[in-house]
Amino acid sequence: MLLANWHRVLSLFLLILPHALLGVLAVVLYQRRLHRRFPCFFAYVLYEIAKFAPLFALYATQGVTGKGYAYAYSVSLLISIILRFGVIDEVSKDLFRGSNFLRVSARRALQFVTGLLIIVGVLIAVFATGDSGARWTAGTFVVNRGAAMVQCGLLLTLLLFSRFLGLSWRRPAFGIALGLGVLTSVDLAYSALRAEFTGRVSAQLLNLVVTATYLVCVLIWIGYSLSPEAEPVTSLAILPHDEVETWNMELQHLLRD
Amino acid sequence: MEHGAATLAQGLTTAWTLVAIAFLALAILAYVAVRNRKRRANAEQAIQTFRSLDIEAFRNLVSLDEEAFLRNNLPPNKFREIKRQRAWAAFIYAWEAGKAATELAEVGHAAQRSHDPKIAVFGVQVAESAFRLRLQTIGACLRLLTEIAVPELESRSAPPLVDQYQRTAETLFRFGRFSSGQFPADERART
Repeated sequence: MLLANWHRVLSLFLLILPHALLGVLAVVLYQRRLHRRFPCFFAYVLYEIAKFAPLFALYATQGVTGKGYAYAYSVSLLISIILRFGVIDEVSKDLFRGSNFLRVSARRALQFVTGLLIIVGVLIAVFATGDSGARWTAGTFVVNRGAAMVQCGLLLTLLLFSRFLGLSWRRPAFGIALGLGVLTSVDLAYSALRAEFTGRVSAQLLNLVVTATYLVCVLIWIGYSLSPEAEPVTSLAILPHDEVETWNMELQHLLRD
Repeated sequence: MEHGAATLAQGLTTAWTLVAIAFLALAILAYVAVRNRKRRANAEQAIQTFRSLDIEAFRNLVSLDEEAFLRNNLPPNKFREIKRQRAWAAFIYAWEAGKAATELAEVGHAAQRSHDPKIAVFGVQVAESAFRLRLQTIGACLRLLTEIAVPELESRSAPPLVDQYQRTAETLFRFGRFSSGQFPADERART
């Protein structure tokens, strides 16, 4: 019996567990006072928990039509997408903290990248609208696909930009960016496939993949929120005196010669 | 009918392309996550890398006077060959300076988290200088690559990069004095 229903059991498990863990994450964020540093992320976590209960109730209730659930899901997804943009903005501000030069120039570069990604997202939405048989569902996934494309691109740009410039991430910010990056990448693939394959079996399989990914992302967020910050600059402070002096002398030569 | 099949095929191609992009993004994320775990700001290594760069040699390679001299005294073919070699050597310098700047930026950025407010302030200065240098090296590398491709083009001088390099070196010099406890009085007053 259980084996016959393995798919349903697994679906429920993957649907409930990440949201229960999101509760744990909210507590961790609050206890470590990270909700002050990342208010938008904290709001996103709370929103994801809050939206789960009514959506799950709609999903489980027999009388609710598939269309009714699709409408509710689409609206909740739209709010999630907006909050995720807020989280990305928050993470980028944290990354460029303490450097006026970077705040200005990196922000310009990010605006440029965002513009490009939005154009690509809109072009894909216009020229590859997906299976028109299930217009509302396909439309939702087309919008999600465009948003996932922009968000994934932005997060990758941030991660690569930081590596290229030698910016050091603080653990929670890196965890948030990494988790959201994984989530939006899988969302991109999921939405692209869901816009094309609207059949029941493919939808069930893809849902399993996306909920499993969500679980992984929540675990990443919890892990990075709990992990201690790297020791702040040890090497400069502990450089031996004579070595610093030797270095000073050589730099003096370099500057004067 | 044929039009419908073509649209379906186009849609599928787009879908699989996006899936491929998503997998590529996941691979990059995994790479960045692994590298981020292993990576630690190493001041010593950053200083050594920075110290190994010969600013005078670079200045000589991008000198306009030197280039004018070579242009006037060498046959065109030979001049192009020499200019390519000089531009390539300068490119390697700029590339290494960029790498050193990245390392220094890491150190400076990490120093900003120091519990000592003075070290934190200097961390900001080192990081800012290094970021500027990093961006300037990109510009310099692009220009030098253009010179390698089209050696006939007359070069413009590269003072911004050299100046930025020197400003970074000065900031580091001050940082070094500071961390060894011999920070000059006038510098102390400035902070």
